[in-house]
Amino acid sequence: MQSVLKNPLASPFTLGVSSGASLGAGLAILFGLTVLPAGLVTVPAAGFVASALTIVFLLRFSRAIDPRLEGNTVILAGMVLSLFLNAALTLFSALSKEGMNRLLFWQMGSFALKGTGPLACVSAVTLAGTLAIYRYRRELDILTFGDDEAVSLGVSAGRTRAVLIALASVMTGTVVSFVGVIGFLDLAVPHVARKAFGPAHRALIPLSALLGGSLMVLADLLARTLIPPLDLPVGAITAILGTPFFAHVYLSSRRRDR
Amino acid sequence: MSAPENLARSRILVKAEGLSAGYGSGRRDIVRDIGFTLREGERLCVIGANGCGKTTLLRVLAGILPYRGSLAFAARDVDGTLASPDADSLVERSLLGPKEAARTTAFLAQISSSYFPFTVGETVMMGRYARRQGGLSGPSPGDRAAVRAAMDACGLSDLADRPIARLSGGQLQRAFLARALAQEPSILLLDEPTNHLDLFYQIDLLGRIRERMDSGLVKASIGVFHDLLLARRFATSMILLDGGEIVAYGSPDEVLESPEANRVYRMNVGQTLRDLLQNG
Repeated sequence: MQSVLKNPLASPFTLGVSSGASLGAGLAILFGLTVLPAGLVTVPAAGFVASALTIVFLLRFSRAIDPRLEGNTVILAGMVLSLFLNAALTLFSALSKEGMNRLLFWQMGSFALKGTGPLACVSAVTLAGTLAIYRYRRELDILTFGDDEAVSLGVSAGRTRAVLIALASVMTGTVVSFVGVIGFLDLAVPHVARKAFGPAHRALIPLSALLGGSLMVLADLLARTLIPPLDLPVGAITAILGTPFFAHVYLSSRRRDR
Repeated sequence: MSAPENLARSRILVKAEGLSAGYGSGRRDIVRDIGFTLREGERLCVIGANGCGKTTLLRVLAGILPYRGSLAFAARDVDGTLASPDADSLVERSLLGPKEAARTTAFLAQISSSYFPFTVGETVMMGRYARRQGGLSGPSPGDRAAVRAAMDACGLSDLADRPIARLSGGQLQRAFLARALAQEPSILLLDEPTNHLDLFYQIDLLGRIRERMDSGLVKASIGVFHDLLLARRFATSMILLDGGEIVAYGSPDEVLESPEANRVYRMNVGQTLRDLLQNG
């Protein structure tokens, strides 16, 4: 996401994709929607569709203001959209008392999955998605220089970007709708990985995935053991640790612009 | 006016006829009815006042903007031979695939950057994108050799592992020239490539491009120039644009001494350039 949009603050969380997924999945939970034969996967499917709609809307909207998608327009738009979607979800949940608790806990993010079915589904989607994105590692390197240069180097920039954003949305949508919103790692991990291993996506993609996974396990461990016997929502842990990091990235990127 | 005669026998690399282009659909065209012929060995310079469409024309040639009319290239095969040696078999730009186009033309912009700290070596290797095999394979020995040759030609051999963010302006532009050379294009497109450089690096950069052309590795170049002295020094032929249309086309001296040039630049261009050289 950061490379595709040439923006160090870009992540599914800051672009509102996670919120979109959570609204979609949330509505499905609240209204107990069950679309046969979708059955078990109704909630994830709703999340996925909503996240895809969110990113399409966001990119259309940002492009109308800033056709070249440079600068922080897209992040600001994403943040605003994210707030709006969260508010919409809150409103809906206020209407339905019984669904609220379930929704609230799901929203905070938790790995307390039931059974191996969801686990297999999430693993399959993320693994396939990561491999698919890895195929585009060279295009990703080149896209960070901007569309004009990507085109003159032989990359069809518009199509590649669309494919990559779609892939990221599929993965985000799926994961969020199974485990809820777990923010900030998505933003922080690529930065840490880039600092440590350089910006080339050949190494960056697999290492970000590994590092992100490892940190996630650590955060989950903290969530389960910090205040026993409470099982804290892991999304809260990552957000508390991640917010200062976000501020740091934002401030240092502003300094660089000067 | 017609194209210079001295190159009339070399092979035609680019032929534009009735070429028009602009930004967005339904908007006014920025360049209109452009026609020219580029031959092997030619260094064509496009000059004109700010906003005359110079950069737009170059962006069309680079495939960044769509166009109407005809813009035909002698396309190049992967092995580096020209696929179409005579004028009859030129290929329309819009029919070239993105990689095929990137083997035909390379584009050197005024200023480039990436937010992320790629090294010089990694940046130059990106020039090989259109020539590399897909899939999971790494760079071939041929790719490595081309990258090394391009970096040598640009005096960057010792800087391969330096992040591009830590290069001086002159080094940075040489790194992007090296990336363009690594594409092994037949035609180099230059968009005011010396704009942000000190005079020494301006002369140095253009000298390296000429060297590369003299050795036949790059067949021709089309450059947009703001600085008329540099343009005159570099060009073998010249186009003067005004309001998106060609108002003078010929040898550099013909164009710079033309009444159209005097009108566009609102002064006696030929006389002023001579004065600058004598008194400066």
